[in-house]
Order: sequence, then C-alpha cells, then structure tokens
Amino acid sequence: MMKKFAAFVKTYALPIFAVFAIVLGIAFVNGSKNASTAKAGRIPVVFWNEMGGPAEVALDKIVDDFNKSQDKYEVIPQYQGAYDEAVQKIIQSHGTSASPALFQSFDISTAQMMHSKYTTPVQKFIDEDNYDTSDISPVARSFYSNKGTQLAMPFNTSQPVLYYNASLFKKYGVTSPSKSPSYSEVTRAAKELYEKSHHKVKGMTIEIYGWLMEEALANAHTSLINNGDGHTGNPTKINLNNPTTQKFLKWIRTNIKSGDFVNYGSGASAETNEIAAFLANKLGIFVQSSAYIGQLTTGTKNKLGISYFPHPDGVKANGVGIGGAALWISNDKPAKTQRGAWEFIKFTQTAKNQAAWQKATGYLALNKNSQKTKILKDLYKKIPSAKVPGEQLANAKPNNTNSGILMEGMQLTRELEQTAMETVYNGGNINSALNTADTAMNANLKTTNKADGR
Amino acid sequence: MLKSPAQSTPTTPLSVEKTKSEIADQEAKFTLNAKDKYFAWAFLGPSLLILGVFIFYPMVKTLYLSLFLTNTVGKTTVFVGLSNYINLLTSADYLSSLGVTLFYVFAVTIITIALGLVLANLASKRLPGIGIFRTLFSATMGVSVSVAAIFWLFIFNPSTGFLSLASTWLHLPQIPWLTDPTAAMWAVIVTTVWMNLGFTFLILLGAMTSVPTTLYEAANIEGASSRFQFFHITIPSISPTLFFVSIITLIESFKSFGLIDLMTKGGPTNATNMLVYRIYKDAFYSGNYAQASAESIILTIIIALFTLLQFKVLEKRVNY
Repeated sequence: MMKKFAAFVKTYALPIFAVFAIVLGIAFVNGSKNASTAKAGRIPVVFWNEMGGPAEVALDKIVDDFNKSQDKYEVIPQYQGAYDEAVQKIIQSHGTSASPALFQSFDISTAQMMHSKYTTPVQKFIDEDNYDTSDISPVARSFYSNKGTQLAMPFNTSQPVLYYNASLFKKYGVTSPSKSPSYSEVTRAAKELYEKSHHKVKGMTIEIYGWLMEEALANAHTSLINNGDGHTGNPTKINLNNPTTQKFLKWIRTNIKSGDFVNYGSGASAETNEIAAFLANKLGIFVQSSAYIGQLTTGTKNKLGISYFPHPDGVKANGVGIGGAALWISNDKPAKTQRGAWEFIKFTQTAKNQAAWQKATGYLALNKNSQKTKILKDLYKKIPSAKVPGEQLANAKPNNTNSGILMEGMQLTRELEQTAMETVYNGGNINSALNTADTAMNANLKTTNKADGR
Repeated sequence: MLKSPAQSTPTTPLSVEKTKSEIADQEAKFTLNAKDKYFAWAFLGPSLLILGVFIFYPMVKTLYLSLFLTNTVGKTTVFVGLSNYINLLTSADYLSSLGVTLFYVFAVTIITIALGLVLANLASKRLPGIGIFRTLFSATMGVSVSVAAIFWLFIFNPSTGFLSLASTWLHLPQIPWLTDPTAAMWAVIVTTVWMNLGFTFLILLGAMTSVPTTLYEAANIEGASSRFQFFHITIPSISPTLFFVSIITLIESFKSFGLIDLMTKGGPTNATNMLVYRIYKDAFYSGNYAQASAESIILTIIIALFTLLQFKVLEKRVNY
C-alpha cells in the first residue's frame, strides 16, 4: 500500500505541482487585473456596489463611459455581494484605507447611514453646483432625503407593480385588471381565472415580503411609525396593527380561503418560484418589483400585462414608494475624491444613461427626460406594458407615507413583518400576529434609541 | 456466547498502562533549563500568537460585546450587564429557536446514522457489481451545499417541482414543502440528511469491512441469524466509528448555515431559524452585535456541553 503510494507520488508529483502552479498563476494574474489602481495622473474613486448579473454589466458600462468622458478621475467599481452584508462592510471599514469613496446602499439602510455620520450629504454638492434636481423623480429623491437635505442620490430604483398574464386572461375569457385596480377587483380576476381554467391556473400570489406590506400602507396613505414615518422626527412608536394592514391581510386571507391564492413563501426562492410558475402558465397574477420585467418578457410568447400596485376599496391610491438603492459619498476621503464621486453620480443621472439603465436592467429611469429618448421609445414599442411602472413612478406625489420609513433597524422590522405575514398565510389570527410583531418591533426600537442615546 | 475483542485479548489494557507509566517516568526526569525554555517559547510562540489573535481575542471580545448595547456603527455605548442574556433566555422567540435547533440536530443525527448503517450494511456484502452501489451511495459527498440546496429547491417547488407533480399524478394532497412551518423543517432535515449520508455511509462502510471475518464465521457455525450478527458483532465492533460519526454529525448540524440560508432563510414563522442562522441575521442583517454576541456565547456553551456529554456517556459504551 505504502509502496504503491510512493510510486504514485513519484510519477505524478511533477504534473500535479505544475497544475497547481498554473492555477495559482492564473489566479494571481486575474487578481492583479482587478487591483484598485488608477491610471497615472487620475484620482481614484473606489466605488462599492451590489449589482450582479445583467445589472453589473450595465453598471460597468456606465463606469467605463464616465472614465472615458474625462481624464481627472477614475471610478473603480468593486462588487460587494448582497445588500444586507454590504451595509455592515461599509460601516465597519469606514476610516480605513480599504473603505470606498462612493458606495451603493439599499433603501432600508437610509436611516442607518444618516445616523452613522459617515457620509457627506450630496446636498452639499447640489448647492455648490446649483445642480437642477427637478428632472429627477421626486418620489425617489424624497426617499433618500431628510428635512430638505438630499442625503444620497437614488440610483437603481424600482416600484412594486401588479403583473398579469394577459394571454391567459384572453384564453379563458376573463377581464384583466384595470390600470389601478382595487383589492376586490384583483380578487374577482384571480377567482375567475382559477375557476374558468378548472383549477389548472392559480389566480394570484403575493410574496411574503415586508416591503410589499409597507407599500400597501404607503398606497393607502397610512404611517407605520410615528413622527411622519420618521421624516419629521426620531421615531418612538411603531403601529403595524392598524386598519390598513388588517385590510391588506384580510384581502389575502379571502383569496387563500377561496383556493385561488398560492403561497411561495419568502426570499429569493419565492421570487424564482413565482416567476417560474407565471412563465409556465400556472399563475395568473402576482405583485412584485418592476425590476423583473426583463425576466418576464424574454423567452416567452405570452403577453405581459402590468397594472399599478392595488389599493384598498374606496381609498384613493396615494402612490407607492420606491425600492432599490442609492449612491452615497463617504466623508473619510479627501475633498478631491469626494468631488470625483459626485461627478460620477451626476453622470449616472443623465437622461441617456438612465434610459439605457432601464432597458438593460428593468430598474426605472429616474430622469423624466429619459422617456423622450429613442432607447425607451423603442422598448415601449416592443413591450407596451413596460411603460406602466414608469407612469406609476411619475404619478406618485411624494408625502411622508410614500417616502419610505426613516428608521434604524429596518432589517429587523422587515423580518418581523414577514413573520407576521407568514403566520397569517398559514392560517393564524391576523390581530394577534400583528400585535406580536408590534411588541417585538417596539422593544427593538426602544433598545436602539437607548443605545444611540436618543 | 461470543466474546467481544477486548475480553478476548486481556493483555491490551495492561500494555497501555505500561507505556503510560514509562512516559510518566520520562517526564519526571525531564527538566527544562534556560536554553530549553527559550526554544520552547520560540517554537510555541507563533502558534500561541495565531491562536491569540484569531481565537482568544475574538472570544474575549465577543464576551465583552455581549455585556453592552451597540449603536448604529457597532460601537459599544451602554453597559447593560447580563440583560442581553436575560432578554434572550426569557424571549419566547429565542427559546423556540433553541427548541427548533435541538429538534433539527437530533433528527438529522439519528436519521443520518440509521440510514448510513442500513446502506453500509447492504453495501458491505461481497456481491458482483457492489462497487457501483458503493459509489452511488457515497455520491452525495461530492455535492456542495449550494448545489444540494438548489437541487432540492427544484424538487420542492410548489408548481413545477417533482414532488408536486408526483402527488398530482397519484392524487395525493399537495404538501407546501417550504411554506408550511412543519413541512419546511422536514424539507431542511431531508436535504441535510441527504447531504450527510455519503460521508457517513463511507466511514461506516470502512469500519464494517475492517471487522474480522473470523467473528462472523464463528457466529455462523453457532447458527446466529444475520440480524443477531448485525446487532452483536457489527454494531459493537464499529462502535468507535459510530461514536466519531455521531459527534461529527451532531456538531455539524448545530453549525448548519448554508442550507438554511439558501432554502428557507429561517422561515416560515421562524420554524427553521436555527441558532447559528439567528446569530448571522442579528449581527450582519440587523447590526445588533451585542445580542448576536450573547447568542454566540450561549451557543458555545451548548456545543461544549454536548461534546462533553457525548464523550462522557458514549465513551463508556464504546468498545475499543
């Protein structure tokens, strides 16, 4: 046995070693390619982002175009993985040489970034340059601002919309939902589709996702927390158990009971499953981020229908808030570097870049002039329903309830909202599920305020 | 009656005793002079330094963090003593996580060992073509956590998954595998067992094939049934290996993270929110480092207790 092994080593040691050396060599060469060094004479602006897949390709193109457009700065994009973990990385690396000059951070980290005092509000540069922000979507801007100060610039932005399989509706002779449907209208459509297809097609689903529940509150002009959802002062009280949340969950409960609703759970797997089912003609309606339009229109002959986020019966739709992420400027880098970061932010907001961004990713163009570009006109010609999310965004007038919830600890809040939703989806009592969430959220808020000395 | 190997070779324990006392004698004579001490530190120093920086310092820091509240940027602000621990141990949420973890760990360990034994027993028979089965049974060893999770997610898919299609054909009720709290727990257990099985099978098979054939021959002459042989020869003979595999599986299951993250994210209604996943979420999702630190300390104590218990209880029953 030992002899055999020794002989084996003798024969194969050199080739194995050679393979190792080659692998290491490749890894090293690749590694040094990505090293963060700028071209001579340029100020490096390290840019942390969380864009993967097609969005990463599109973002790299914007960066490339920016670097070619001038010779003063060099933006160096670095992918940092998922949003949640990136927040902690950004905060923990602040003040070290490894920290970024410019970073992308997601919607619900806004209050955390604001309170960390680790960033320079972009308002400073807006004022210095007299930069006109009026072309940029107001409801997106208001999400990342506090008391008139723009903290960060919205970048990749989406809104939840209602998707429906228009081909299936036609096939079974069911009237499709209107442009801005009410809860009962969606229920009617889902039920008819389920019955007329002889239960072959499930009517609808709504992912167990705190964001969607918060948007239901926003669309009904209801606050989740006091002090204007945190926009007028530091929040001290959370009130998830309110009539609007109850109405939303009762609506879902009605559909679960009549059998037309299908539950795919929460998280990325739920999104994958609902899209797979939708494309396989097994699901008629679902509510999800507008960023999925691309996936829902490629490789399928089905006609995609899109409506606004549904609103409770008898309540005028207030317009939903946005989701996605914004671009922030770190304050631990020299003024020149911060200026470079701002120049890049401005570059991302141009009508042309925003239009190309929407076409490539499904995120919404924030610049209102993007709608006039050929890129988007061609897109709408090909997929007429792709126009709807942009209209929903443009029609939303910002107020405290649809400008996001400006509170620290939103990640945990989302978790607790989701647990409440899961309880209800699995047949639990709505009132007690919401009370449980409220108790835990308020306890957490109290600890947060105590730890932060507020 | 059959004798166990230890009883049949009474000289073994004596010889061990002897070597032990020899070592003790040598140690007594062995004293360190100044130069030796210098060398001792020089050789131990690097490993002590590495242990200190990467093990002891983080442990002490974790303990320290667990006694404070942490602010937005993760810095300690208010000293709260043991209140993080008290809050955790009185929160129904955390206690349910603890219960869920224990259920998962024991279910996984018991099922993995049981199935591993059955498969290893089948594959230990010398039959033509058995190599194919041995390869098949141990095949899951080469599957990474993410691949396993995605593979099973496809099977559990409520609309297009294999299980859903199969139950439609057979006119059985549909089980919402990943969205019903009880079913989700079993979905995760099944996937974990499936993943662990290859390794467990291989180790147990190795142990079984090294059991002396003379024992089975003697048993055959005495007319013992194959079932009797399995419980009275195979199991006692491979008990050291069983002990090893059960410890490894138990501790690995406590640390289970990847599958949970990819399959359920701790849901639905926290039904699969295991202790390790909870720590990760509290620290790196919520930025609540103080509470996550307290949870880490509690988990460390639990794992240490189980390891101790297993060594104390199982060691006595192990037949070396």
